[in-house]
Amino acid sequence: MTDSTERLAPQAGEAIDRSRSFEFTFEGRTYTAHPGDTIASALAAAGVRVFSRSFKYHRPRGLLCGAGHCPNCLVQIGDEPNVRSCQRPAEEGMAVKAQNAWPSLDFDLLSLTKYFSALMPVGFYYKTFIRPRFLWPLYEKVLRRAAGLGKVDPHSHGEGFSKEFLHAEVVVVGGGPTGISAALAAAGQGARVLLCEEQAALGGHLRFWGAQEALPGLLAELAGQPRIQVLTGTMVTGWYADHWLSAVQGKRLYKIRARSVVAATGAYEQPLLFAGNDLPGVMLGGAVLRLLRLYGVKPGHRAVVVAGDAQGWEVAQALRSAGVEVGAVLSGDGRDGAEGFEVLRGYAVAQAEGGRRLRRVVLADGQGGRRRLECDLLVLGGNWAPAADLAYMAGCRAEYDADRGEYRFAQMRPGFFAAGRVNGVPGIEGQRLDGQRAGLEAAGYLGLGSGPVAGLAEELRQLGPTPARAWVPPASGEGKNFVCLCEDVTDTDVQTAVAEGYESPELLKRYSTISMGPCQGKMCGINALHLCARARGLSMRQAVRTTARPPTVPVSLGNLAGQHLEPVQHTPIHQWHLDHGARMMGAGLWMRPEHYGDAAAEVRAVRQGVGLIDVSTLGKMQFTGPGVGALLEKLYVNPWRRLGVGRARYGVMCNDEGVVIDDGVGARLGEEEWYLTTTSSGAAGVFELVQWWMQAGWGKGAHLADLTEAFAAFNLAGPQSRAVLQRLTTLDLGNGAFPYMHARQGEVAGVSCRLMRLGFTGELSYEIHCPSGYGLHLWEALMEAGKAFGIAPFGVEAQRVLRLEKAHIIVGQDTDALADALSVGLEGVVKLDKPDFLGKRSLMRVAGAGSQQRLTGFRMMRPGLVPEEGLQIVGRRGGKLEIIGWITSSRFSPTLGEAIGLCWLPSGLAGRSGAEFSIFREGELLEARVHLGAFYDPAGEKVRG
Amino acid sequence: MLILDCPNCGKRNASEFRYGGEVHPRPPAAQQLSEAEWAHYLYMRPNQQGVQSEWWYHRAGCGLWFLAERHTYTGQVTRTWLPENPKSDD
Repeated sequence: MTDSTERLAPQAGEAIDRSRSFEFTFEGRTYTAHPGDTIASALAAAGVRVFSRSFKYHRPRGLLCGAGHCPNCLVQIGDEPNVRSCQRPAEEGMAVKAQNAWPSLDFDLLSLTKYFSALMPVGFYYKTFIRPRFLWPLYEKVLRRAAGLGKVDPHSHGEGFSKEFLHAEVVVVGGGPTGISAALAAAGQGARVLLCEEQAALGGHLRFWGAQEALPGLLAELAGQPRIQVLTGTMVTGWYADHWLSAVQGKRLYKIRARSVVAATGAYEQPLLFAGNDLPGVMLGGAVLRLLRLYGVKPGHRAVVVAGDAQGWEVAQALRSAGVEVGAVLSGDGRDGAEGFEVLRGYAVAQAEGGRRLRRVVLADGQGGRRRLECDLLVLGGNWAPAADLAYMAGCRAEYDADRGEYRFAQMRPGFFAAGRVNGVPGIEGQRLDGQRAGLEAAGYLGLGSGPVAGLAEELRQLGPTPARAWVPPASGEGKNFVCLCEDVTDTDVQTAVAEGYESPELLKRYSTISMGPCQGKMCGINALHLCARARGLSMRQAVRTTARPPTVPVSLGNLAGQHLEPVQHTPIHQWHLDHGARMMGAGLWMRPEHYGDAAAEVRAVRQGVGLIDVSTLGKMQFTGPGVGALLEKLYVNPWRRLGVGRARYGVMCNDEGVVIDDGVGARLGEEEWYLTTTSSGAAGVFELVQWWMQAGWGKGAHLADLTEAFAAFNLAGPQSRAVLQRLTTLDLGNGAFPYMHARQGEVAGVSCRLMRLGFTGELSYEIHCPSGYGLHLWEALMEAGKAFGIAPFGVEAQRVLRLEKAHIIVGQDTDALADALSVGLEGVVKLDKPDFLGKRSLMRVAGAGSQQRLTGFRMMRPGLVPEEGLQIVGRRGGKLEIIGWITSSRFSPTLGEAIGLCWLPSGLAGRSGAEFSIFREGELLEARVHLGAFYDPAGEKVRG
Repeated sequence: MLILDCPNCGKRNASEFRYGGEVHPRPPAAQQLSEAEWAHYLYMRPNQQGVQSEWWYHRAGCGLWFLAERHTYTGQVTRTWLPENPKSDD
């Protein structure tokens, strides 16, 4: 077990509870931690310096930012890859592993790629691994192993993810002093506020530097505010239209509707560019202060500090207090050495040297003078970039302020406000005032209060602007100078890419992959822009930033997927189907019986006796009113208007291209009462379309009710169906009293029903519709009445065979988005001389010009050979095979004892009964011949019986 | 996510609606159109960058088809309304 040799004495305000401790492992070794430690802080306390290996060159990487922005501390825990160990709390028994290193973190063979780095410049994969092509499978295997970070477990179930909706009048993003002030100001005007803070505790940077004494007072003001809801550990990941926000808290995804947003998101510390800038031991100021003050960890033993601003000096002092030797402080801001440090003015870091960790830095004074200092910690301070991604997503515009050395907002989106450091306001006083200003503005935008008083802007002005910070250009030294740590993109790579013509930041980003890694540009975006501008001789104002898009941080797919909730729809007969051995299948959202064990037997039962199928999933439309006939006349290709009361017919609906979109049966139940069905999967679409035309003016005098779920429906089919039905009703079912293509209403088994006689299956059959609540009773009554006749329930599969034996189409199976009604073979249904209907104009063209392809039937020449649906039909042209059609439906017919189906063929061929053609299947040709019309009972006697 | 103001139901999330395309009236005398003109009606749309009038269907609500004015670049919806006198070409 490794000792925590770098743990300091207790620090005021630290986040750890030293009274308890526990153990966890990293790379198989055991470490101790206290509650409140992150994985990284506990490891750092034990002197661990190397946390990961970089993406491309497998360079050793150590803690850099401490804020969850950079990729250096990513580890794998179980099946969860890419865990930020500087953010994730350590837990007892946790088994943490390194990523992207083999065989081990300390000894990674893949780091040998560094010797081939000349062969792997920026964009190399666009130019290599192309020939020889037979090696592609090998390239892919090797590259897949080498590329990527972390391992995904394909068997992981991703459990425990949840989703919650929130509403707020003002959402404040960021719980530092600015955000807290904004929330208090807005709530003070009566707004309901949601305050989201990324870290586990409020306070932002005040938790570990700056005016830390101000924090308790702020938190006290916040406590017990009824109008402010606080979410910690919650990262706002995206801004969407009308102030819709996404936020992630562990395994929960929040979807938030705000009426206004205040971004108090602070700024990202930026690394400097010099050779060796990615060595473990090079850290940003915030990382050092977090380790010292939140976790009581000594980050090194001998430090050199680059102090660009007040924070840098605070780092130097804090290090000294912790017993770290501070070799020198590089300063540009004029403080002298009275503080007891050796201050070097005018020097910049030229190079960091070391193998697996920092050993010394080389400083240059710009005039050829150099100094070498031994150290194991180099602190980079004073370079910041506003964390404005969310604001950019919301459409706020920023311009580069060359005097201040950072981007400043030029135009905000209405309802979106920015305050504090992200708005260029440094220092606790300014941040409190600016937060207040934004909170009052947000409230005022909502009509609460009258906005900030005039004096507030004046106070802010008097505090002065952000101190100016010029960008530090990259130093010239020996070795790699990393701009993008996530993707291992160097300064040279950027210059090469620009020289190759990838000049715009958007192109440069995509070609070099700079800013496309886990940090998404937080650490590198601004530096990359500077380098790009410099390489092209442009000013920063001329370089256009790449577009900011959600999410602001990498989000687990599990968060976005949420729980496994898949709604299904059941008919009233669902349980009965299960109890009787049905194998269920999904048909859209519906569950339907595919068969009850033997589909062929079900087909035989219907043909020879009687069968019952549950068709409750059909769409059902009830039309009433004097205008219905005229409406239906326009919606369908066939006539409806003059259909007599008590009559029924098959209807086909096309779009204005003449393409078949749905079919069904319809009955006129009364002078002004019509009842039409649609296909199960087409129901919603047809309903929508009918609504459209009714509202567009065709619906005068017509009303529509959707009875799809209100009614159950069954098809009782077979020669014995009349006999079965007669046992349950007093309706006269004689062929004269209730003929084919008629509809009746009456009681069946005591239930008020509507019945229609049509012939999808090709047998004498009755489609019976009743209110869903009585569905199961009616079904069971029919099954009971049919017992003496050997009734069998039949499923979707048997129905498919039965209808195929009659060459009846299924919309969506035999038709597609190009199949017009005439080419499908529905000439008998289309009435072109109606004055107008959907599809008429296009169908007139087809009628005149003829179809190029037609849907027709076929039979296989060899018995027992059933070709798969979708197989291509081929013909010969000039000695070569070409595709001339394909199979849409194909089954073995138990009734006929042979394989039959429907297919598309060129018109001439499709119309020749008995013509032979070939089906292509895996290099073989299967022979078939054209069959026109129904395969079974072509005269249609059975349905009319 | 966009908020749409359904003339019937008021402001609802865009996920409740289905976009119905640019306003593109069906020619009243389709039979007299040439092939090219008919194909143009079927398949061609202005698709301009700017404010356009378009249809929306309240799919998960009242089932109303209504019109909206939306800027196709900024995404901002300026108004929603019901067509006044639905055209009937009887």
